[in-house]
Amino acid sequence: MNDKFFRISICLILLALLGAVPLLAQDTINIGVVMPMTGREAKPGLYQKEGIELAIKQINGAGGITIKGKKLQLKEIFYDDGSDSAKSAALTERAMSSDNVVAVIGGYSTALGEAESVMPDRYQTPWITAGAAATSIFSKGYKYTFGTLSPVVLLGSTTAEFLGSLVDQGKLKKGLKIALVVENTDHGVDYVNGINEWIGKHPGYFTVVLTEKFDLGGTDFSALLQKVKTARADIFLSDAHLQDYITMQRQYLQAGLHHQMISYGARGPESDARKALGAGTDYILAALWWSDRLPYPQVQKFVNDYKAMYNRPPDSWYAATAYDSMRILAQAIQAAGTLDKTKVRDQLAKAQLKGSLLPGMVLSYGPNGQAGYSFLVTQNKPGDKVDIVYPKDAATGPAVAPMP
Amino acid sequence: MTAVDYLSLVISALLLAGIYAAMAVGMTVIYGVMKIVNLAHAGFLMLGAYFAYEMYERFHIDPILGAVIALPAFFLFGMAVYWVLVRWLPKSDTPTLASLLLMFGFWQVLQNVAYLVWGNTAYSIFTPRSLASVHIGEISISKDKLIVFTAAVISLVLLQFIFNRSWFGRSMRSLIQNPYAAKIVGVDDQRTSMLSFGLGTAFAGFAGALLAMLYPFTPDFGPPFLLRSFVIIVLGGLESISGVALGALILALLETFSINIPLPWYWHGWNFSYLPASYQPAVSFVLLVVVLLVLPKGFAGLFEKKWRVA
Amino acid sequence: MFGFRIGKNVVPWLLFGVLLLLPAAHPGNNLMRLLFGTALWITCSVAWNLLGGFAGQVSFGFAVFYGLGAYTSALLINAGISPYLAFPVAALVAVLASFLVGLPTFRLRGPYFVIATIGVGEATRVIMNNLPITGGASGLRVIEPGPFRQLDHYYTAIIVMALAVALSAWIANSKFGLALRAIKQDQDAAADVGVNPYTSKLWVHAIAAALTAIAGGAYARYHAFIYPGDVFAFQTSITILLMPVIGGIGTVWGPVLGGVIFGIVEEELVVNFPNIHLLLYGSLLILIILFEPGGLLGLLRRLSRLVRSKPRREDPGSPDAEQVLWGSGGAQGH
Repeated sequence: MNDKFFRISICLILLALLGAVPLLAQDTINIGVVMPMTGREAKPGLYQKEGIELAIKQINGAGGITIKGKKLQLKEIFYDDGSDSAKSAALTERAMSSDNVVAVIGGYSTALGEAESVMPDRYQTPWITAGAAATSIFSKGYKYTFGTLSPVVLLGSTTAEFLGSLVDQGKLKKGLKIALVVENTDHGVDYVNGINEWIGKHPGYFTVVLTEKFDLGGTDFSALLQKVKTARADIFLSDAHLQDYITMQRQYLQAGLHHQMISYGARGPESDARKALGAGTDYILAALWWSDRLPYPQVQKFVNDYKAMYNRPPDSWYAATAYDSMRILAQAIQAAGTLDKTKVRDQLAKAQLKGSLLPGMVLSYGPNGQAGYSFLVTQNKPGDKVDIVYPKDAATGPAVAPMP
Repeated sequence: MTAVDYLSLVISALLLAGIYAAMAVGMTVIYGVMKIVNLAHAGFLMLGAYFAYEMYERFHIDPILGAVIALPAFFLFGMAVYWVLVRWLPKSDTPTLASLLLMFGFWQVLQNVAYLVWGNTAYSIFTPRSLASVHIGEISISKDKLIVFTAAVISLVLLQFIFNRSWFGRSMRSLIQNPYAAKIVGVDDQRTSMLSFGLGTAFAGFAGALLAMLYPFTPDFGPPFLLRSFVIIVLGGLESISGVALGALILALLETFSINIPLPWYWHGWNFSYLPASYQPAVSFVLLVVVLLVLPKGFAGLFEKKWRVA
Repeated sequence: MFGFRIGKNVVPWLLFGVLLLLPAAHPGNNLMRLLFGTALWITCSVAWNLLGGFAGQVSFGFAVFYGLGAYTSALLINAGISPYLAFPVAALVAVLASFLVGLPTFRLRGPYFVIATIGVGEATRVIMNNLPITGGASGLRVIEPGPFRQLDHYYTAIIVMALAVALSAWIANSKFGLALRAIKQDQDAAADVGVNPYTSKLWVHAIAAALTAIAGGAYARYHAFIYPGDVFAFQTSITILLMPVIGGIGTVWGPVLGGVIFGIVEEELVVNFPNIHLLLYGSLLILIILFEPGGLLGLLRRLSRLVRSKPRREDPGSPDAEQVLWGSGGAQGH
């Protein structure tokens, strides 16, 4: 049985290696970060990681966090979940159960966020997501989950609200028809619900003539776009991930489609899209959680710090929400004065991050753990420019409607 | 739907069929001659796309030209892959799990190499022609798609020519028909296999470069195209070029029309409703399974004698 | 390949005992989680091997059963039924599905069978992505009343794994196993000597599907959130088949080894070498195919023979591995 002996000894060695208790570092505060670095969601995952690391660097540079008189530094324990939800959950569980972390920041994109969100209450470790906004994560009565992104339903209704304001201003006619083409995920479903919710409350403004869902990562949308053409709508609203946004918009233009307004949900000004489509992205609307064009001084400072660290400006909103998630976490840990995870969680629940980068300048979590600040609507302008067009007090430029 | 809409759909489907045919033909060649189900085909498509991208970004070579350059480049690459990896697989007249898994492993390696070199950003090739369309009345046809369609048709015709007229083609055909008999009459099995693998890879690279003009790509660009290639060559019968064209056409028509025309179904009387777009991928797979069950050798099985190496 | 009779073999029992008693040593949540995951992967690996390794029918669509098991269990648990009742029901559903899939597809030979299984797998995924009852692409949460008891999950997984391995070993040594082996070598010849290949394939497919479904159910219960892109994914089917191939196709313990690699080594790989783990897998696979079709188990066997410096004799394991991987030598066709 020598071959069995080999096999068993290898198993036992592996087990022994794993059973080894990780060194408990008493002089750092461990923060678990689980983000996709490879796979479909890799780019935004990278940006979120960068945002977190920028925050950690700044907090550590200012002396770290004082717990019981001792100054402790933050230490990031990072796992790449490869955009795979099973791995994401497993790695979050690993971080929470064996890496002695105080909290985990993770969950870029809804599916990964949903999978990870099972773990916080199970291991009673606070978990903040800066990248998953589906309401279903926060409607299960969990106590340890927090979401720095406002709900996607609000994204949808804000978009509709903005369009409604254009009607009020006379830039668009009343009674226009909307074609909704969304990705087949929670995100897409919430978006549709948000739009329909607003339309229901404001009859007469718009009617939805087409609602279709498409599979993520599709390559050829020509048949679907033909259906959109047949629907003869006036406004084209979509909700998609970056890659699908690029693919669909390109095929949209090639098919000679034209609508009075176009939006891709939370996608619009991404630099990858600009590179891939050039002027094809002009005048596209997006409802975002943040824009670097917000006229707050702390936003400008953040952009400069980010550029200094990474040699490029932050792309869209990904880094900013992660940055503020880390900052509010640090604030909560400081307020708790201890690394006890439940006390940190209690502090997070009532924390208010003043000087936040996010719209409204204050970040705080609602009773279900999700933040609820209002969205910005941006519009791409020719020449790689982006303007915030809604709400009025944050606007940096006029909305062009209908699209030329 | 108006007549113009219908026409638009038909044109759309035709163009799609061209794209699909180009993408599937490389796999057919390799399968026909060596009975290897080349899962690395997805990897070659992906590399073809990146090849075209690099040609465009670094040397400002238009992607069409890039695709043409890809042919010899990938031909050599394919032969190299054959020499290093594939020739060790023993000859069999039925596909083996070993060949399947070998190519799968190689595909994983290719994917990872692509990650290391280019990262995981979605690249796309944006030329001044990218958003241009040809307008015929109300119908807009993307210029790039037309070009890809033309290139696909030309490549199919070219392959057909090679198969039927050239010495090399004859060797390939004889190997397809009966490898043992072919060896007996003096066909150099090793050399022909190597050249065939090169040819198949060349067309995969070519197709990948064409695809790069139309769609954004990342290292895991392959699977949807790979799976569709399967459907196509099963439809077309796994061993003939015109079968590929037929299979591609059927798949493209089905995919395009299935969500655009109301389909009849019976429940307390006849009803008509549209298939939701999110079911579109299932169409191809259901088709695949149905065809396999009804026509175990694909459509070409129906015309066995005539279509085998048409 | 069929050599390891349970009665004579004290080591597996010892290992099983260690696994049963391990929690008493308080090894920590992380290790338990890894062992849990590994046990489930081993179950799937052994199950696939029944059909693919013993009977030689290579299916690229086992995610269908995994997913069906996961969703059935999830829906039943959410309806308040005990998981230990839900799992057998899930297994039953998978058995039915295996007949639905197998009845038409086992008539196909060669690559057509493989491709058909891919088609079925993907079609299932897309359909499940759209059905309201499964929650569609948004996925389904499993809400089990009561606190999370990791031990429950752990023991479920260990017992299911032991069941799978025991079943595999029993089949390997039984007349049924002999019939399967005959089908693998030459289906028509087997039919000539009285084996009914069609029904044998259907039965082994059913057993494999049932085991895979239970693993899927246990997964769903632990992870408490499933969605079609995860449990019905093509990648999942690939993982399920890679384990026995890498571990040692056609043997009883090869798939177990493969499962261990995927459960434990894979995570360490992902954590430490996230950028190249595909490269490592792919290269490992290529090396195995080209040099050691018996997988890692075959490699270990060779090493142990070297160590014992016994004269090289024909290894009973390899011919089976080669049979599955290389087909019937090419001399006879299908």
